[in-house]
Amino acid sequence: MIEPFTDVVPSFFGMLNQGPLTLTIFLHTIIILPMFWIYKQEKEKLNKK
Amino acid sequence: MANENVSVWTSIPFWRRSAAWVTGFATILLIWLTFDTIGQISMGTDADLKNGVTKRVPAPTVINYKIGYEMSKKRGHEVPTIGEKQPFFGKEWSPKEAANLLHLGKLTSQAKNCMDCHTLLGNGAYYAPDLTKAWLDPAWNSMIPMIGGMIGKELTREEAMAEFLQHPSRYPTHARKMPDLGITAREAKGLVAFLKHMSSIDTNGFPRNFSKTVDQFKAGGTNAH
Repeated sequence: MIEPFTDVVPSFFGMLNQGPLTLTIFLHTIIILPMFWIYKQEKEKLNKK
Repeated sequence: MANENVSVWTSIPFWRRSAAWVTGFATILLIWLTFDTIGQISMGTDADLKNGVTKRVPAPTVINYKIGYEMSKKRGHEVPTIGEKQPFFGKEWSPKEAANLLHLGKLTSQAKNCMDCHTLLGNGAYYAPDLTKAWLDPAWNSMIPMIGGMIGKELTREEAMAEFLQHPSRYPTHARKMPDLGITAREAKGLVAFLKHMSSIDTNGFPRNFSKTVDQFKAGGTNAH
């Protein structure tokens, strides 16, 4: 699943960049996931009101 | 009073916190990427070349070496290779001389507005051929004897390129002939050094399928060398 690193200068993002979409999907995932947590917190707050 | 049906989507604090998170994260990511890129694009040194350290952008003294272009199976595209020493305009250039020559070439490329027609490292136009790997262009194999024959002299690749740059309208090269831009002999030398250095930059295989004919492309090979 993870291809060996082939770039000239190793970098964290280079490692994630396995294909045209992998980096995009990874970044979107880590941006969206905390929003579930924010959503739950806000829902709790509204319910308490 | 607990109400399970209350909507979070209309809650301003939810959107405010989400926006703060996304903006904050993107800001940190962009700052990180800026510094990550510096390592990728910083120019190597003369010592790197002597010690065989691979850098994406080699030192200006790379003009003293033979530049090749070889298919890398691992990376799935061609990669510039730096071979043995090769005199450039009949001599070996010191780091300072090479840097000055490259600088002159860069200034000339800007002054003559090469990008008006050509593409350099992805910037510019596609009216005329892409110059990113111009030094390695196999078209020179037939151009060098042709230019040499017209001026009655045996020329090296750099001399043929410099001669062409000084009198481009004399030589039939491309369907659209390059106009005479009044490039001097000194400027032409600089430009050739600038182009040779640019060809040695590892551009992750850009421009894609450079120098391949349709048949070669189908066969998966290359005639760049």
